[in-house]
Amino acid sequence: MKEATRVISTTDRIVFEDVSKFYGEILGVNRISLAIPPGVTSLVGPNGSGKTTLMNLMTGLVRPTRGRIRVLDCDPDEPEKLFKFVGYSTQFDSFPKGLTGFQFVYSYLRLGGSDTQTAQQMAWRAIERVNLVEAAARNVAAYSKGMRQRIRLAQALCHNPRVLVLDEPLNGLDPLARAEMIALFRSVAVDGCFVIISSHILHEVDAISDQVILLSNGYVVAEGQIHSVRNEIHEHPAQILIRCDRPRDLAARIMESEQTIEIRIHNDGHGLLIKTKDADEFYLMMNRIAMNGVEIESVAPADDDVNSVYEYLVGSDEVVR
Amino acid sequence: MRSATAKLWWEQIQSVIRLEMKKTLFARRGLWIYVLALLPVVLFAINAAVASHDRHRSDNIVSEGTKRLTNQDLNSVKLGMTSDEVFALLGRPPVHIRWKERKRSESGEVSVIPHDQYRYSDGSHDLLLDFVDSKVTSIQIGTGFTQPDGAKVFAGVFQFFFLRLAIFFGCLGVFMNLFRGEVLDKSLHFYFLAPIRREVLMTGKFLAGLLATCIIFVTSEVLQIVVFTSQFNPAARDLYLYQNHGLQQAAAYVGVTALACVGYGAFFLAAGILFRNPILPAASILIWESVNPFLPALLQKFSVIYYLKSLCPVDIPTPPGTPALLALLVSNPDPVSAPVAILGVVGVSLLALYVSSVQVRHMEINYTTE
Repeated sequence: MKEATRVISTTDRIVFEDVSKFYGEILGVNRISLAIPPGVTSLVGPNGSGKTTLMNLMTGLVRPTRGRIRVLDCDPDEPEKLFKFVGYSTQFDSFPKGLTGFQFVYSYLRLGGSDTQTAQQMAWRAIERVNLVEAAARNVAAYSKGMRQRIRLAQALCHNPRVLVLDEPLNGLDPLARAEMIALFRSVAVDGCFVIISSHILHEVDAISDQVILLSNGYVVAEGQIHSVRNEIHEHPAQILIRCDRPRDLAARIMESEQTIEIRIHNDGHGLLIKTKDADEFYLMMNRIAMNGVEIESVAPADDDVNSVYEYLVGSDEVVR
Repeated sequence: MRSATAKLWWEQIQSVIRLEMKKTLFARRGLWIYVLALLPVVLFAINAAVASHDRHRSDNIVSEGTKRLTNQDLNSVKLGMTSDEVFALLGRPPVHIRWKERKRSESGEVSVIPHDQYRYSDGSHDLLLDFVDSKVTSIQIGTGFTQPDGAKVFAGVFQFFFLRLAIFFGCLGVFMNLFRGEVLDKSLHFYFLAPIRREVLMTGKFLAGLLATCIIFVTSEVLQIVVFTSQFNPAARDLYLYQNHGLQQAAAYVGVTALACVGYGAFFLAAGILFRNPILPAASILIWESVNPFLPALLQKFSVIYYLKSLCPVDIPTPPGTPALLALLVSNPDPVSAPVAILGVVGVSLLALYVSSVQVRHMEINYTTE
């Protein structure tokens, strides 16, 4: 599943080369080799799988025990260069004391060397993007969890970074705010930026990601586009859901195929759930059946999502829904 | 290019100072530092109030006396003189107190002895005479608080309380928390995620701590000087300040205070970055500074107090009979010149800051292990 060695371009990728991180004797991540391209990349895994460690490593908050990391050819050990194009919204829920939401973002920009006027403009723009203008003058200590999450996002976004690292960015947000934030991440990624998101809620990741990195116990178990990853899992037959009016007739036709392992009629009686060894071959067969006059409403993969892929790779015990 | 970088660093340092000053000066957990800094001011204020009361009383005695007396007049009274002889010398006493002494004999009988107490003053010295059966049985001459004595008391309070305790522990409280406090509050990542060199961040934090401690302790020192000199009458104060090097001494104390903040600040900043538990390094530095006089000459130079003692403007006298250890603590047998002392403090501070900068560059954020 993983590519152990490869030639990696460091100039336009976030690159991990054989990176391990141990906290004393406790494993953070082990022997990670990655080259993360632009777009939305989700780090997926349960708590303790190494998602935050990976993010802290790429932002220089912790250093690798061994291996090398380059973020668009920049060493994370040089924060003065790195954070000019990297924004990181951490999971740490503490803020410098006594600051309002606006001051929190503004001070960050001033620390980076922006002049007063520019810092004010950029801070307000970022606060607007996360819909927190009305609460910007209030002390962060008085914010709700969702507001604190959003002001951290504003801080990470405020200097228009090319790499946006977001650790569990949707935690504490209500459904409306989640939808807004997902749209925001997508809009950032469309501009050719890198958006690295960690999440242990797998169905959330499906809606956001261009590619995923699946982690378990500090190891990368799979990486890439979710459909490609799914296709590589041969030990689990592909599941396909077919919607149609006459499922029994269709089932009889499908049974003739050698690729079919199992057919079940859907609970509502208007569809079939198929398990097949070769999904591509199966789809070709479905085309032939459809051309022969059988009415088919829809054909869609039933386990081509992060949740299923993670379950197949790691086991159902570790899946967090 | 280089000037643009320097300009950026300076702006970043200013930003750090702005953020840190508010936290450092108005932190609730730092209130004890203000108490520590203001304690000598309170001591000198109480002393000034007592001195003022005594002076006022002496002035009253002088004004109510029948003769204008000199110190020589006061010293001319001898034990055994009769009250008439004393009146002839000093005039009728402005203050006359009668009191009775109850004395129990060996057989257990209680006898009452009437005493007469007369008080005279020349304005600077008070004479207290006790009479029994109209004869002088006790003579006490109370010397007022003189400037040279006062300067030595001030030097003692400065060296033994203000410098070694107040500034030492105040700097510990401020500088140790610049990084360690933020790790405990889990807020250090705010700085570490900004595009700022860690060394620049450390410099900004150090300068913020220095500014805060200088504001607190230099203000305290100035107040101490003002309150201390307020106990003298205006003429004596002018004499002390302008002719007896009072102003120079005051400036030296303020300078030593600021240098102490630099030196101890640098040490405690390094300790706060290098160690998780502040108690051990603080105790080590305290012991190191305390045993400085007993260390070999070379090791003495790696401390702050060694240089600061040389810069203190007034030596504390060691009266005969002072224990050798205490005398060694008080005295400064091998003082260095002022420029060397200033360079020495700056030198050891820069060394500590260099160690801090190397360490802070490699510092990781790992709150869960704290």
